[in-house]
Amino acid sequence: MKVFGILVLCGLSLCAQSLERARALWRAHDYDGANNEFRALVKANPKNAAYRVEWGRLFFERFNPAEAANLYNEALGIDPRNAQAYLGLAEVYADEFSAKADQAAEKALEIDPKLYHAHEILARIALEDDDTKKAASEADAALAIEPAALDAIAVHASIDLLKDKASDWVARIGNRGKGFETIAHFFVINRRYDEGIEYYRKAIAATPDLWSAHSQLGVNLMRLGNQEEATKELQLAYDNHFRDAATANYLTLIDSEKNYDTFTSPTSVLRLNKKEADALKPYFEAEIARAMATYEKKYGFQMDKAVQVEAYPNHGDLLVRTLGLPDEAGILGVTFNNVISMDSPSGRPPGSFHWASTLWHEMSHVYVLTMTNERVPRWFTEGLAVHEETATSPDWGDRLSPEIITALRDKKLLPISKIDRGFVHPTYPGQVIVSYYQAGKICDYIAQRWGSSKLVDMIHAFAKNEPTVDVIREQLKLEPDAFDKDFLAEIDRQTGSTVKNFADWTKKIKEVNELAKAGKTDEVIDQGRAAEAMYPDYVETGDAYSLIAEACLKKSDRKCALDQLGRYSKEGGRDAATVKKYAKLLEEDGRLKEAEAALERLNFIYPLDPDLHDRLGNLYLKTGGANLAVREFSVLNALHPIDTAGSHYNLAKAYAAAGQKNKAREEAINALEAAPDFKPAQTLLLEVSGESEK
Amino acid sequence: MAAAAQVGCGLKRLLLISLAAVIAAPAFATTYIVTIAGLGGEPDYETRFELLANDTDKILHTGPNADRSVETLQGAAATKAKLTASLNRVASEAKAQDALVLMMIGHGTFDGAEYKFNLPGPDISAAELAALLNHIPATRQLIVNMTSASGGATEALKRANRTIITATRSGAERNATVFARFWVEALRDAAADTDKNGQVTALEAFHYAQTKTAAFYTEQKHLVTEHAQIDDQQRAGTFTLVRYGSIAAETSDPAKKELIAKKEQIENQIDALKYQKSLMAPEDYRKQLTNLLVELAKTQAAIDK
Repeated sequence: MKVFGILVLCGLSLCAQSLERARALWRAHDYDGANNEFRALVKANPKNAAYRVEWGRLFFERFNPAEAANLYNEALGIDPRNAQAYLGLAEVYADEFSAKADQAAEKALEIDPKLYHAHEILARIALEDDDTKKAASEADAALAIEPAALDAIAVHASIDLLKDKASDWVARIGNRGKGFETIAHFFVINRRYDEGIEYYRKAIAATPDLWSAHSQLGVNLMRLGNQEEATKELQLAYDNHFRDAATANYLTLIDSEKNYDTFTSPTSVLRLNKKEADALKPYFEAEIARAMATYEKKYGFQMDKAVQVEAYPNHGDLLVRTLGLPDEAGILGVTFNNVISMDSPSGRPPGSFHWASTLWHEMSHVYVLTMTNERVPRWFTEGLAVHEETATSPDWGDRLSPEIITALRDKKLLPISKIDRGFVHPTYPGQVIVSYYQAGKICDYIAQRWGSSKLVDMIHAFAKNEPTVDVIREQLKLEPDAFDKDFLAEIDRQTGSTVKNFADWTKKIKEVNELAKAGKTDEVIDQGRAAEAMYPDYVETGDAYSLIAEACLKKSDRKCALDQLGRYSKEGGRDAATVKKYAKLLEEDGRLKEAEAALERLNFIYPLDPDLHDRLGNLYLKTGGANLAVREFSVLNALHPIDTAGSHYNLAKAYAAAGQKNKAREEAINALEAAPDFKPAQTLLLEVSGESEK
Repeated sequence: MAAAAQVGCGLKRLLLISLAAVIAAPAFATTYIVTIAGLGGEPDYETRFELLANDTDKILHTGPNADRSVETLQGAAATKAKLTASLNRVASEAKAQDALVLMMIGHGTFDGAEYKFNLPGPDISAAELAALLNHIPATRQLIVNMTSASGGATEALKRANRTIITATRSGAERNATVFARFWVEALRDAAADTDKNGQVTALEAFHYAQTKTAAFYTEQKHLVTEHAQIDDQQRAGTFTLVRYGSIAAETSDPAKKELIAKKEQIENQIDALKYQKSLMAPEDYRKQLTNLLVELAKTQAAIDK
């Protein structure tokens, strides 16, 4: 027994030494060493939950939340009432904006009611949800246990500052930089980047070695286009061991900046990848100008600074540029004050992305954020931006998707007073998409019932930092509950039939596709029309419109095919081959202007298709649109098509038709340089050189 | 470095021109074209392969292409026995001055040692195919193997004066290919005729299909699973697959001989000028090029009168 007792004592003492060593290595930034020590500790003490929790904290601090969560869960497997493990999980979930954070924090408090940090986490989550009452109450609960609780103080300060009120709480932060960092976080998630940057600077002034604040300062400076200072701050954080994915990714992205061309005008700055800049520039510049002119008139507001638009051909780069992380697939574009970062048309497979719709969406944000000084709830700015997409052109914007239909069927739309939560803390997969849809439909409904000018009135009301419920009451003269009731009735009117028939439609469209494969044309037309009527918004792969059109063509019924393909385009169908087929049929029928319009739609979807510009350019030549033909063939040449001689020749023809003989001559020479015996180019060269009659 | 590269490029073109003169098919030679669409394995591929074979057949029977013998095997007829019979027929008919084109559409396999073209019934190996081709007296041969793993067949098929195009770099690229789709497109798309001389050569069709295949993978954001190869670009540049015009009639018109000689002289001057491009001031090059091209155009107009 004596020997055993000595061994136990030695064992405990060794463990204590090992734990201290792990902590010392951690403090000395030797994270690998600390990790090895924890691993050895856990191996030697497989039943010790506390070691796992502390090891989990190391992982959480070193940017590996998944491994941290594993260790916390393992600790709970050993000790199901380990409050610190629940607290750790709450931190991990809160960091991911997961709805599970609440539960974990509450469980921690149930086990240990004195765990004030759990109250702080609940306070943060509530404030992220714009629930200031709960945020204040949880912060008070934390302060009741620990009067110096920094996050609780910072949450109180943030509540005041977000309402544009001076706050006594700020002084209580003192020289603790972390508190200012928390305030900055709340400004940033409310898209108030300038103020966020201001508070990150305060955090650094108070605690110069707060590297997370240096990193976030860099990230937000980068978002607003201040690349030089952003690089400095990010590099500083990185050099001081703060190497989370965002910091490292931003620094990598900055290295690739040399691959971009910048085009400036008095009102805009356009940044495009050199590889595609010449091809995209005409369309982007035209749409930027058109959107700005439209919004200026509609919102009665003129931007006093240039709007910057950046288009990234690599979707991962866009994600790094906006979030710092390359693994969030759903984002198409993001606006930070007057800076728009978006996918380039080449960033996604052709037909899957309407870049012009995204540009107009983001441009609406620029105006609304500027007009409200960023004091606008997320649902409204997103809803208005979605509304503007289809207001620009009904075939733009997103269609009613199966996941939205499912949400409608399951009555998952949120009341207007809580709709922001669907964006910030989604509780089911796809809720963010559903929230966009709902917010857009709300703005459609307001415009339809009260007129478009009411939306502008609401922008001005939000600019006064009024909460959603007050704006609804004041502007629409309705209680929020009554608004919800009316709105849901309208949504039901619009979508009720599709929602009701959705299950039948899924069977029917499968059947139609099988009939098409079997070549049963009459049945395809008959059953396809039934599927179409059930769910007219469906224009994705295997859609009824295209299948019916094919069947009609097999029966040599061009009129029927044209009708179907016209409806496909009108409903927003974006498959290039299908739209080109429609344009070809129109052209063959001599409906050239309609064919042009059909193909022009594709320029807003995938303008990097050489064949599109070839077809459209030739159509414009036929209809006398010489300048547009010049645009199309110039873009064709910028895409370096296989047929170099042919594309230069086409451009020469377009210039000749536009009366620009010198340019026509230069392009004819370019064509003949590639193919000296190209007879049509020779003839044109002689014509524009005045040699043909000699 | 840039200048050196440019000179190298120009040199290649001159070589190509001289080789074209040497290798160009003599008058009255016949080109034997055999197209075979192999086993699809599933309905989608069966349909796709048959469509490509049908399209090819249709294109080859259109236009001024009378000096050729075209045979297309597909569906149940695309067996090893039928392919063997077809190639044996060519072997019995063809002469040394004739040419052979074999286009293979479908799936292939490669086990690390042996390539096999999948056909209804027994497959045919690259070695068996090579043995059949070697019996064909036509000196100029073009094999366009567009199957998956087609790169695995190259070694076995290699022979002097035989040009080999494959859809994949090696036998290890085993996924179904899209190269065939764009190869057939090249045969019917005038844009493939990049030098605008009214005919599409094997090299032009290869570049067209290779570029479009690469664009397909880029646009669809798919991992590139095929890298088309060609073993002899110069020879492929002289292998005409389809024609659009009547070039032969123009060159044999005695009344225009003087103008044609002048035209050829200007063409040579243009080639020589392009060869010097990287060594010249851009504006000087442009001026001289313009003068020559205008002169060439005027001469051609006179020929066409």
